[in-house]
Amino acid sequence: MQPLVLTIAKRDIAQWVGALLESGKVIAPVRGPCGEAAFCRIESPEEPLWEFENPLAPPKQFLLPQTDPIVAIRRNGGVTTVAPIYDDAPRILLNVRPCDVRGIAFLTRMHEMEPADASYLRRRANFTLIALACHVPCRLGFCVCSDSGPFLSGGYDVQLTDLGERYLAETGSEKGEAAIGHASGLFRPASEEEVAQRQRLETVARGRFGDQTCHFASAMRRISTRRVDDALWEQMGDWCLECGGCNFICPTCYCFSVKDRGGDGRWTRCRMWDSCQYGAFTLEASGHNPRAQRGERMKRRFFHKVSAQYYVRDGATGCVGCGRCIKVCLGGTDMPAVVAAIRRRAWHEQ
Amino acid sequence: MSALTLAPPDVMIPVAARLATVDKETHDTFTLTLAANSREQELPAFAPGQFSMLYVFATGELPISISGDPAERGKLVYTVRSVGKVTHALVTSRPGESIGVRGPFGTAWPLKESYGRDVLIVAGGIGLAPLRPAILHVLRHRGDYGRLIVLYGARSPQDLLFRKQLSAWNYVPDTLIINTVDYGGLSWRGNVGVVTTLFRHVRLQPARTTAMVCGPEIMMRYVVRELLARGLSDEDIHLSMERNMKCAVGFCGHCQLGPYFVCKDGPIFTYGKLKRWMDRYEL
Repeated sequence: MQPLVLTIAKRDIAQWVGALLESGKVIAPVRGPCGEAAFCRIESPEEPLWEFENPLAPPKQFLLPQTDPIVAIRRNGGVTTVAPIYDDAPRILLNVRPCDVRGIAFLTRMHEMEPADASYLRRRANFTLIALACHVPCRLGFCVCSDSGPFLSGGYDVQLTDLGERYLAETGSEKGEAAIGHASGLFRPASEEEVAQRQRLETVARGRFGDQTCHFASAMRRISTRRVDDALWEQMGDWCLECGGCNFICPTCYCFSVKDRGGDGRWTRCRMWDSCQYGAFTLEASGHNPRAQRGERMKRRFFHKVSAQYYVRDGATGCVGCGRCIKVCLGGTDMPAVVAAIRRRAWHEQ
Repeated sequence: MSALTLAPPDVMIPVAARLATVDKETHDTFTLTLAANSREQELPAFAPGQFSMLYVFATGELPISISGDPAERGKLVYTVRSVGKVTHALVTSRPGESIGVRGPFGTAWPLKESYGRDVLIVAGGIGLAPLRPAILHVLRHRGDYGRLIVLYGARSPQDLLFRKQLSAWNYVPDTLIINTVDYGGLSWRGNVGVVTTLFRHVRLQPARTTAMVCGPEIMMRYVVRELLARGLSDEDIHLSMERNMKCAVGFCGHCQLGPYFVCKDGPIFTYGKLKRWMDRYEL
C-alpha cells in the first residue's frame, strides 16, 4: 500500500474533525480548567488544541484505564455468573504526539506477547491514531535520544505536520485512509514543495532540542552487566518519595493490580494501575518482600526500562523521551537524571 | 451447587469451579480439591510444578501451586497455608462453594529430562506442596528413575505436611524420605536442624542426580550452596520461586525477577538461569 501524502487547509480542519466525530468517539488534547492541556473526549470540532504543551497525563489511560473493569460477577442465591466485560468502541486519538504514539506501540508489542492480552488488543484494534508531529520540540523532551520523535517514520495511522497555512497529512495504514476518507473533499495531494518543507521542518526540529539528553547506550551497558553500585541505587532511592507518579505518567509503564469493587452479590473485577515504587508491590502474604528498600525498587524500575535484557524482550527501551517524569518527580529521580548518574557513577548530591 | 456461565478463552477471566473437599493437614494448612461445576466443564490437565490462580469471589486472587497427582484427571488439588486474607477465605470456604480458577500457568519440574536419573527433592515448609506432584509422578513411574531422595524440613513436628504419606513412601524401594524440624519439642525423636543438615545422611552421585528444590528463598540459597559443594552442576539444580502475582501471564509486572517474569519464565528455573540474579540483592 502506497501511503497517501495530502494536505488540508487550516480553516477546513474543524470540518474534518466534525466528520471524525460522526465516525466514533474522538479524544484530543483540550484546554483544562487551569489552562493546562489534557487528553479528553471531545464533543465539538472546535475543542481540540493544535498548539499545546504535551499533556502531563499520556493518552495511555484510554487504552489501559486507571480502573479497568474486566469481569462482572453476580451472585444470586447459589448461582455465580462470571461475565467478561468488553470494550471495543471505535475511538480516534487526535493530535497525539510522536512520543505517545511510540508509547502506545510499546504497550501493544508488550501485550501481543504470548499469551496475548485480549482486552488490551481488542481496545487497541479499534483505535485510530492521528499524530501531530512536533515541529518545535517541547521544553523537557528528549525523544531524539530514544528515536521516538520529533517526527514519526511509522506506527501512526495519520501523521499531521503544521506547514503554516495548511497541515500535511501522511497516512500510515488503512485506518488512516479511512479517517481521511470521512472528508476526502477537504484534502488535496501535497505538492513536492510541501513534502520538502516537511523534511526541512523535521531537520530543523532535530536541531532545536533543549537541555535534556539521555545517553541510554552507556547506561544500558552498565545496568545490563550490573556494574551500577548498589550504594548508588540506595543513594538515589533516598530521593524517591514513593508517590508512584513516574509510573502513572509514563507512556510505557503498564504494571497493574487486580481488585474487586462492589458488594451485595454484584461486583466488578478491575485492573488498576499499580506502581513498582510502592513498598507493597512485591510484598507476599508470608511477609517476604524481595524488594523492601526504595533503592531496590528503583533498581528494578530502571532495569526494566533501560537494560539490554528488556530491550530484547520489549523491542525498545522503556522510555520514549517525553520528559514527563522530569515534571512529575519531586525527588528528581527522573530518567535523564538517573541515566546521567549511572554514567557519572555518582548522584548529584556529591 | 453453583451454576456458571463459561467464559471465552481470555486469560484474565476466571472460570468458576466447585470446591469439593477441604482437608486439614496441620493447624494452619489445608488441602483443597476443586472439581468440575457441571458435566460439560472439564478441568485442565497440569504438569507437576505448575500453579493456578485461585480466586475467592469478592475477596481476591492468588497463585497457588498444584499439589495433586498429575495422573488423576478431573480434579485439581491445592495445599494452602492460611497466612493472609485470601488464603484464610480459601481454607474456610465450605465444600460446594464456587472458587474462580485460572491456569495452570508456568514451567514444570524437569521430569522427562530426569528419566533414568536420581531425583533429589529438597523442600522447606509449604514448599513440599509444589513438589508433591513430582514425587507422585516418580513413584507412579518408579522404574523410570533411579533413587528418589526427599529431604524435608518444617518448623516444628506440628508443621510437617503429608506425614502419613511421607512415612508410607519410605517403604517404596530405592526411596528415602528424611524429615527434620527447626524446633522439636519433648516428644520429637527425629532430626532437629535446618534442612541442609540432612545432607550428611545421604550420599549423592552428582553426575546422575537432578535436584528439585522449593522453600523459602533463604533456605534455597543454602541448599544450592550445599548442592554445588557436592558437585551438582548449575543446570541440574531446579528451583521453584515465589513472588507476588496479579495476572500470571506476564502483564502485571509484580513477579519480575531480573530479566524474567516468575509467572511465565518460571516458577521453576534452573539455578544456572537464576544465579546471576540471586547472588546480589533483588532486581
